[in-house]
Amino acid sequence: MAKLAGVYAASHGPLIIRKWDSVSAAHKEALTGAFDELGRRIRAARLDALVIISPDHWVNFFIDNLPMICVGVGETHAGPNEPWMMKEFPHETMPGHPQLARHILDTALASGFEPSVSHRMILDHGFCIPLLKAGVNPLPIVPVVFNDIEPPFPTVSRCYAWGEMLARAIATMPGDLRVGVLGSGGLSHSIGEATMGLIEEEFDRECINHFEQGDPAALCEFLTQRLPQVGNGGSEIRNWVAAHGAAGGRGFELINYSAVPEVIVGCGFAAWNLHA
Amino acid sequence: MATRDYALNKLFFDLQDPAKAAEYRAGRAAVLDRYVLSPEVRAAVEADDVGYLAGLVNPYLLRFYFLVAGMPDDEFMKRIRATGGPHG
Repeated sequence: MAKLAGVYAASHGPLIIRKWDSVSAAHKEALTGAFDELGRRIRAARLDALVIISPDHWVNFFIDNLPMICVGVGETHAGPNEPWMMKEFPHETMPGHPQLARHILDTALASGFEPSVSHRMILDHGFCIPLLKAGVNPLPIVPVVFNDIEPPFPTVSRCYAWGEMLARAIATMPGDLRVGVLGSGGLSHSIGEATMGLIEEEFDRECINHFEQGDPAALCEFLTQRLPQVGNGGSEIRNWVAAHGAAGGRGFELINYSAVPEVIVGCGFAAWNLHA
Repeated sequence: MATRDYALNKLFFDLQDPAKAAEYRAGRAAVLDRYVLSPEVRAAVEADDVGYLAGLVNPYLLRFYFLVAGMPDDEFMKRIRATGGPHG
């Protein structure tokens, strides 16, 4: 059967690319070091496929048809379509892993989830910035979109359960694939609302503490209460929660946390302790 | 659930297409004519009324729109912060 070989989380703020020149030397060093370490760990895990959970920043879906969860099952995905991202990451297409994706889909359906399905998903900066900055060569990707950007959102506990389901799907996937899971997004940021630019470091530190401790019930309760009170970008922590579920609620090891005002994101990077 | 003006969201969404964005920057009226916007909403778009529009659209689309429309980041930040509205 396939093996869950690594579970990771990384921020993906667009200004990490668009405004890199304006990032301070100290923050450049912190972010570069964090992405390098993430890349080192992903390469060391010798992954055959990577499941990336990220929001869709309005490139695939619109409010006329907005999935809560969508799985990309295509043989091929489309690369990013944001002009500034295409310049840095010029992949017109990126490989999928339809066999793994369909097994995840079947497992989801058998587990009480009814995700949407995409046979040709555009992978926007949420999927691509971690790959680009971590220097990970495009490997077969199973993209999973969580709706983190337009309310109403999936509940935090459902996101955790989705992650648990992902782990079951990987553990029952025939063959000997080595599969990774990456939750992309977060931590606190605020986009297009009155608190835009605000980084809520205290909240981020509490989040990190919960993820380090493990205890899924406490994490879900904390986030269920707090996410509606912080900047809208914090909603992407749902993707970290799914990663936490995939890792069986084992705590994670923080690679780096840096509140970076130049990119208006509390940037976090982590890898879960799968053998703890 | 948040209030959403469908046509306004659609306008902002469609302007992600670089060709449409270029057309919009060259002349807003011809593009706006293709969307069924109420007179109040159209006037708010024409006046770059960030606060009024913020109540009607997804915040990410709002932020994106003003990038496309050419408002400097600092100016957009100043105006959106002045709205003092709730999160999300």
